[in-house]
Formats: sequence, C-alpha cells, structure tokens
Amino acid sequence: MDLDKLQNQLSTLRAETTTAIAGVVTMDELRRLESQTTGKTGALGAWMATIKEFPPEQRGQVGKTLNQAKGELTKLFKDAGEKIKAGAAAAEASKASSYDPTLPGIRPPVGSFHPVTLVQLQVEAVFQRLGFLIETGPEMESEHYNFEALNIPKLHPARDMQDTFWLTNGKLLRTHTSPVQVRAMERHGTPLRVIAPGRCFRYETIDASHENTFHQVEGLMIDRNISIANLIAMMKLLLREVFSQELSIRLRPGYFPFVEPGFEMDMSCLICGGGGCATCKQSGWIEILPCGMVHPNVLRAGNIDPHEFTGFAFGLGLTRLAMMKYGVADIRGLNSGDLRALVPAGRISGTTVAEKPPC
Amino acid sequence: MLISLNWIREFVDLPADLSAEELAERFTLVCAEVEGVEAIEVGASGLICAEILTIESIPGTRDLSAATLNVGSGSVDTMTAAPNLKAGDRVIYAPSGASVKALGTIADSTVADRPSSGMILPGDALGVAMAAREAIFLPPSIEPGTQLDPSSFDDWVVEVDNHSINHRPDLWGHYGIAREFAAIFNTPLKPYPVEPIEHLQDDALPEIPIEIDDADACPRYSAIMMKGVASQPAPLWMQLRLGHVGLRPIDGLVDLTNYIMLELGQPMHAFDGDMIDRIEVGTVTAGTKFTTLDNIERTLPDGALMITSNRRPVALAGIMGGLDTEISDTTQTMLLESANFHPHTIRKCAGFLSHRTDASARFEKSLDPAHTVLAIQRFVCLARNEYKQFKLAGRLSDAYPKPLPEISVMIDPAFVAKFMGHPVTRERITEILTALEFDVTDAGNSMQVRVPSFRATRDIEIEADIIEEVARYVGYNNIEPDYPEVVVRALEPNPQQQIERAALRVMVQGLGMTEVHDYIWYNTEWCNKIGYDPSDCLTLRNPAAAGMERLRQSLLPGLLRAANLNRYNFNEFKLVELGSAFPRTGDEHIERQRIAVVSATRSKTAEDQRLSDLKGAIETWAWQVVSRPVTFAAASPDASRPWEHSAKTAIVRIDGRDVGRISAVPLALRQRIDEHLAAWSMVWAEIDLVSLAGLDEQVSKLPPVPAFPEVDLDFSVLVDANRHYADICEEIARFNDALLRRVSFVDSYEGKSLPAGKRALTFRTRIGDTTRTLEDTHLVHFRQAFQSHIEAAGMELRTG
Ligand SMILES: [Zn+2]
Repeated sequence: MDLDKLQNQLSTLRAETTTAIAGVVTMDELRRLESQTTGKTGALGAWMATIKEFPPEQRGQVGKTLNQAKGELTKLFKDAGEKIKAGAAAAEASKASSYDPTLPGIRPPVGSFHPVTLVQLQVEAVFQRLGFLIETGPEMESEHYNFEALNIPKLHPARDMQDTFWLTNGKLLRTHTSPVQVRAMERHGTPLRVIAPGRCFRYETIDASHENTFHQVEGLMIDRNISIANLIAMMKLLLREVFSQELSIRLRPGYFPFVEPGFEMDMSCLICGGGGCATCKQSGWIEILPCGMVHPNVLRAGNIDPHEFTGFAFGLGLTRLAMMKYGVADIRGLNSGDLRALVPAGRISGTTVAEKPPC
Repeated sequence: MLISLNWIREFVDLPADLSAEELAERFTLVCAEVEGVEAIEVGASGLICAEILTIESIPGTRDLSAATLNVGSGSVDTMTAAPNLKAGDRVIYAPSGASVKALGTIADSTVADRPSSGMILPGDALGVAMAAREAIFLPPSIEPGTQLDPSSFDDWVVEVDNHSINHRPDLWGHYGIAREFAAIFNTPLKPYPVEPIEHLQDDALPEIPIEIDDADACPRYSAIMMKGVASQPAPLWMQLRLGHVGLRPIDGLVDLTNYIMLELGQPMHAFDGDMIDRIEVGTVTAGTKFTTLDNIERTLPDGALMITSNRRPVALAGIMGGLDTEISDTTQTMLLESANFHPHTIRKCAGFLSHRTDASARFEKSLDPAHTVLAIQRFVCLARNEYKQFKLAGRLSDAYPKPLPEISVMIDPAFVAKFMGHPVTRERITEILTALEFDVTDAGNSMQVRVPSFRATRDIEIEADIIEEVARYVGYNNIEPDYPEVVVRALEPNPQQQIERAALRVMVQGLGMTEVHDYIWYNTEWCNKIGYDPSDCLTLRNPAAAGMERLRQSLLPGLLRAANLNRYNFNEFKLVELGSAFPRTGDEHIERQRIAVVSATRSKTAEDQRLSDLKGAIETWAWQVVSRPVTFAAASPDASRPWEHSAKTAIVRIDGRDVGRISAVPLALRQRIDEHLAAWSMVWAEIDLVSLAGLDEQVSKLPPVPAFPEVDLDFSVLVDANRHYADICEEIARFNDALLRRVSFVDSYEGKSLPAGKRALTFRTRIGDTTRTLEDTHLVHFRQAFQSHIEAAGMELRTG
C-alpha cells in the first residue's frame, strides 16, 4: 500500500458516496449509508485499521489523509441530513395546510346531575360556607316527627294542608323536610345550624305544575339570641346567593304551626323585575320562602329550653327552584327518567352547531 | 274566603284614596294573603221592582213563559226564561232603555211570536252567583215601580287565601276582617249592631229546655223560638252581598243565617219549631242511622255528636240538620240553634262521613263560644228591621256548661324588642294590642295581656303569639336585617349524608353516569310487564292511583323502565339513581338508601365488555368513595328478580361485607319487554349505601421510590374454564417470595390455541430488590418458584 494509491481510492470513495447520497430519501437510509462508509466496520474504518502497514515515517501523513477524508465525508452526510429534514418538514407543513383547525373535538362521554340535584348542591354549598351542617332524615317517617313534634296534633286543621300518604305499617311518607328539625335538635343540641334537603310526598293530583313527589330543603338555626331581624338577613343572603343577584324581598304573615310568628318571604319577580307579569300574577312578587321563628313547642319536642334559646326555620322548594332556574315547564318531566327532559341536548354528547328551539 | 268591601265598609271607614288592590296589599302585608281582587261592575241603569200579576208557560217551548207585570205605573207583558216564577213574586225588571253591562241596553222585542216588553233580569247578569236565568226575588217591602239604586249592585271582592286564616276563626267573618282593617288604618271599628240582650229575655215567653250530656263536645248551646222569617225573600242588599261572595240567595231564612255566618263566622241552624220542644246534645254509638236534610241516610261513627229532642235525633251536630225537622212552607214557628262544638268532634265525624259542610268547616276552626248568643242577637236585630212578620215566640235558652277559660299572657317588652331585633316601646305595644281588642295592663317590668275571646280559642296562647301581633303591625318590612352572631361549634357530620353525596358525585362526575329520579313506589303494570312479583312490598293505604301502592324494594325496575324509555332516542346511555328502597328485613320493611346504575348500548355482542367496564367503574367508585377495594363473589341468582342473569350475577363485596349486586339483564327479560331490546346489551349494579356509611378512611401510604429498577414478569395460568377467577386469585395471593412486590390481573383468554375446556388467566408480577439491581439468575429463580407454587396448587403455566 502506498500513499498515492490510498489517495486514489479515497477519491473514488468520495465520488461513490456523493452519488449514493444523492439517491437517498430517508434519514434511516442516510444513517445506514453513513455507518457503511465512515463507521468502524465501513470502508474508511477498514483503511484506518491498515495504518500500521505503512512505514513509520509515512504513518503521520496517512493518518492525516484519512482524518481529512473522514471529515469531508461526515460533512457530506451532515449536509445531506439537513437537506432531508428540511424537505420532510416542508412536506409536512404543506400536507398539514389541508387541516381545519376550527374542527371541534370528540367528547368523552360525561355524566349529568338531575336538575334538582344541581340546585340542591348549589344551596348546600351556600350553607356550608355559612357553617351549616347538612342533615338527613327518613322518607318513611313517623307521625310523631312529621306532625306531633312540629306542633301539629291529631285533628289539627293544618293537616289538611299536607295531604298525607299513609303506609300500612302505621308510618307515613314525610310531607315536608321539617321532621329533620326535631331530629337534628335531638342529635346535636344547641347551638345549631343545619339544613336538610330531601324528597317529600303529598297526596295530590299530578299535572304540569303539581307533583306528589318533590324535593325541599329545610333550614334551622338555633342560638341564644336569634331574632326576626337575623332571619330576614339570612333569608336575604340565601336568595342572593341562590339567584346570584341582589333581590328585593318582602316579608308577610304566613301560617305554619311549627313556627310563631310564621312568614312568607316573597322576592321580586325575576321575569318582569317587579312590574307585573303572568308568572307573578301581575303582583311583581314571587312567593319563594316560607319561614318563621321556631315555635316553643317544637323546641321543647327537641329537648331545647325555649326560655334560653330561640331560632328560625325555613323551607325552600328545590323542585320549584330547579324549574325556575332551568325553565322547566312541565314538572312531570323531572320524575320521568326521560333524558330529553333532564339534560340539555348539548350536554350529553356531540357538539352543537345551532339550537333551533320549537316556537 | 271571599270578602265584599261594601260589607267591610259597613263596619270601618276605609281610606277613600286607596284602590281595592292597594287595600288588598296592605292586608296581605299585615294579616293574611290575598289571592285576588275582583271588581263587580254591573253598570245598572234604570232598573225597577216589578210584581208578577200573571204568568203562564208557552206551549211548545222548553222554558219560556209569558208574564204580565205590575211596574207601578201600569202593567206590561214580557217574556221570560226564568224558572220558578209565580204570581205575586217581585223581581228586578229592566224596562226598555234600562241597561246592565252584561246585556247592554234592553229593548222591546218579539219572542216566540209574542211582543216582549223589557226584561226580568237574571241574577247572573247582576253579579250574583245563581243558576242560569234564575231571577232574584225582592221582598214585599219594595213596591212595584220603585227605582233600584244602581250603585248598590257594584262591589269589590277580595279573595283571602283559606290556608292563611285556618288558625284564625275570627277572620272567617267580615266583622273580624273589618277589625284588622280598622287596626291597619288606625281608625275605629264600629260596634257590631245587635239586639240588646234584654229584649231576648222576656219572662212572659216560654224557654226551650237544653240538656248537654257532653260539655267537652258541646261547650255551649243557645236557641230561641221565633216566627215570620221563612216565607219571604231577604232584603236585596243582603242577597247582593251574599251573591258577591259566591253564596246563592235562597230564601229569607237561609240567606239570613248564611249572612251571619259570613259576618261573624258562627253557623246557625233552624228547626221546625212545631216539632221540637226540648233539646238534648249527646253522643251516639256506632251504626246509628240518621237521614240528613239532603235526604241521605247516614250511618254514624261511634262518638258522633247528635242533637236530639226527647231523644229523637234531629241534627248531626255542627254538620247538618235532619230531614224530618226541616223548615217547610207550612212552618209556623222555628227554633234557631246557635251552638259551639268542639272542633275535633266535628272534624272526626265529618271526616268519617266524608261530608264537610260550610258549618263543619267553621266549627273545625275552634269558634268563640261568646258568638252563640251574639249571633242570635244579630239575627233578631236584622230580622226585626227587614222582616215585617218577624216576632219572637220564646225567650233565649242558653246552656253554657263549659265556659271558655280566660287567657292572659305576660309579656316582657324588652324581650319583645330583642326577639324582633327591632326597637319597640311599651306605648306602641299597648297601642297595637288595644286596636286588636286585647286588654293590656302594666305588671311591673312586664305587661299583662288579656286575650279577647274571639282570639282565645286556640290562636293566641303564648308570648310568641303576642309578639306576632306586635311585629306584624310594626311591619315586618320595617325590621332592619341583621346577621346573627354565632358560636363556633363542630357538629358531628352525618355519615349517611356524606356517603350519599360522594357516591352520586363520583358516579356522575367521575364515571359519566346521568342521574334520573323515579317514584319510590313501583308501577305494578310495569312489574307485570317485566315478570316481577311485588307482592312482598310495603304498601300505601292511600296510593296516588291503583297500581302505585307498593314501595320499591329495588331501584332496578324503575331504572329498567327509564332505560326502555330512552332507548328510542339514544344508542348508548348510563343511568344512575340514588334513592330510598324499602326491602323486607324479617317482619318489617326498612328504609335503605341505595345507588343503582344501568348501562345500556345498542349492541348485542358488547355485554361482557360492558359488564367488565361497569365492574371497573364500581371498583374505581369504591376507591373514591370509601377508599377500599371491591371483590366480586359468585352469587346464586335470585329467580324472583328477573333482571338478574342466571350466570353473570355477582355479589359486590367491600371490606368483607355484601353491599350490592351486579349483573347483566338476561335476554329473556329484554325480549319480554320488547323484542327490539334483543339487540341491546344492558348491565346493572345496585349498591346499598347504608352499609357503607361511616367507614373510616383507609389511607394508602406512599413508600419511597425504589432505589434499584423493578421488573415486570407476566405469567399465564392455564385453568379449567369453569373455575372462578376469585378462586385462582386466592391461590396466587398465597405465593410469597422476597422479591415479589405486587401481583395484578392482566386478562382472561379463551381461544382455539388452548386445550378444550381450559382458559388462561394472565397475571403480572412486579419484582425488585431494595439492595441491588436484579440479574438474570434472580429472574430465573423467581420464575421457578412461581411455577412450583402454581403446579403445587394443581394448575399449570401456559408456555410459549
Ligand atoms: Zn312578574
């Protein structure tokens, strides 16, 4: 082997490599070719191994020549690589220009709470912020808790207001969430701040605005100096939070045997803003919140001394609230199990393009 | 309850500058809810009194009659469709040119080929509730030709919500309402016009003896004998007022008793005086029969209170009189009863008979016993003024064996202000209570309040009742809102409530279920449809409808109904319901909160995949809600529940407790519901939340990240195809090795590449060493150890 011959062969390799690179399309092919050419086991690698066969005085020159050739070849590959990457990037960009970036996504299936549950959770959140405990009571209730303990003895005319479903085992389906008042007093004593949402039942004919099965939330606050002024402040707060706006309210006498005095709280009509419309029967007011100061007999039934403690209680119709909030026209849809009545179409699946409600 | 403002104005001067709506609003804010205000605008002009001289019906017409009328200035012929007219009756006549709003201007016309001059006006054209074409009769004191005051026909009627005055017997009469109006406008209430009591106590007249056997049931009974009320119409103004508040005028006697009932709230009853010479009041035994004046024979309950005369039943106390002693056209004298009965006695009996009358509804409200005599005094006063023939035929009989105890309440003005959260002076308290006829005297720092009898029967008993009177007149809307100051106290949370919220939230927000609500009673028709027998259920005594009497023991029948409903509109859905069920436990049914899910898709081959997905969902749910793993134990299917698949049903087990069941809806049931459901897969789970409530949180610790890499090795265990995963797991769980960190399940495979009757369960083991990197020899040893364990348990590893 002599130097001239080596240089000739290297020229040939350079020329062949240049030709081969020109035919390469992918980075994988290029890396393979590079390995075959400049790698340990490639052509250049094989000549590197023969460096010892040269006379000692030529070895420096040979090494220099080989390294120079390697540098040249490596640059060829590097340039070719850059060219391939740039070409691929340009091709990708060109291809992607047909993509529509405004296309909607494909939605994973999601669940949905019942409308009544939604308002219930909202009301619960308001009261939890105010330090109220959430309590429950049975739907199959005793006459004691549903009536007697609430100052509604047998044959009291107020029982007419709450037509009752009676069970053959002597119990009844609670007509309101108020039985939880006395249950909570017994469970926790004083001072006390609780709410109790739940399902209630009244024996009445069902139509678009009446149900025999509906939800309420009961509220109760008992402490040493609870006053009517406190009740008004808290009820006003409740309505503001639930309806997310400052509302005018008014309080007027209402009769419920378990409170004394008893009130009806009206709020300004959300539809007409108080000017009068069909929803508010032209009065400008919507009856929303029956409430009152807990009757001493009820406190006694809950083992609380009415000389030491006073309190207020209220009941809010969750079903009615849900109907107002979601614009439910027919109450019967709520217990129907028909998803079309319970979930806005756009919430279930698919992406809405346009809503065209029937008019 | 309808209130005539003309009537109210008789007792109180209402401000002239306020409209009826404004008056109603003031009343609503201070006293009780007004549901509506209606103007009665008859627009009468030119109406006169006419006397019928002759009347004959026209043959060939259904209801037309030809009448000759004396109109004062002479006689006219007119045609009329009014029923029951006879010669001598006096009626309201509109001559040609007269008008009322409802009919326009009346003109002469020709009816059935006969000339008809003017018109006899029917009551309904005059704002009086009467049957169609029925005429109002005028009393003989009005001469034919007399012009009728046009303004007397117009009125305003206010409807007060009955529920809001249930506790206020005094508000069931116009005089009581007038008292509130007087207090609202701080103007005097005129004294109630009555006959002086001395006039009823003429010793020369006979007295009817009254004997009360049960003074609790009948605290007071007053009666008086009289003549000359029955046989003539009531005065026009009285008939109009009755008509305005919805009571049809009938005759002079009925109208007068109704009038006093609507004025004072006190019902009265008139007996044929010729048939009664003494009164007894007592209870009867069950089964006693009695014919009431509506000609219905009624079988009375035990303890029903009866009025008898010489032990002959004459009236069902407080509900209705008897047919035998009813006033008739030939009645000469009548006995007027004005009594007080115990509300429960009347309510029980009326309820038992399902026969509630205007009278019984009032007695149920605890009437003031003072009103028995007051009503008689009022009756005599009105009768003397309005009925020429009227004469007393006896003196007042009044048995009052159980006087109403006087109620006196001590109030502390400082407490009143504190309770209201609003300052109020002693003077203001006194002023308000005095206007409402309470008697207030100072008693040191306190005040003694004597309750008037008309508020003392149940309404006012305690200090809070008095505070209500003060506060509503101070004005609830004048009280400044004020936030309470609170004492911080950590109350013990309700575990049932907590689990319910978490359970539903994870199902809906975590696992994509849609919440539905159903009734808590089964629909028996649907139960039949799905072949489920609900006869073991707890039942309602008074169901909403036939077929809705059975309380559900499971949420599944209702969810299946909802699923079947939704399959028309959706190809895939997952429903969840949280609610109560009432399963039998021993001898009784108990209430249990449950959560149940139905997952459905329109694909008949997806069932096993769907069931795996649901099981996975339940496992995730349990981790989130009770921080515990779930296992699925083989269940013997319950044949009484057709929604349970005979082979695929499993018990859901948490912490060793059976908390629910999970399965697929078998094809048999899907086909039974609707053959289209054969193309669906439906799987379900139902979990009892009561058994999960109150479980403590299980904390999963976070050990240090391993210092040396760990390795996964998979093993396929070949087992008999009918052996349960749960059994194999137990075997595998027994394997111990120092390197083993965790075993998890990968999949279950059945296929042609396996020997017949076998399947392969693949498990993944994670191994590692805390002190060094594993080498091949460790893996080989581990593999051998695991293989020996499997083989020792009678199984084999699948190779290749
Ligand atoms: Zn409105």
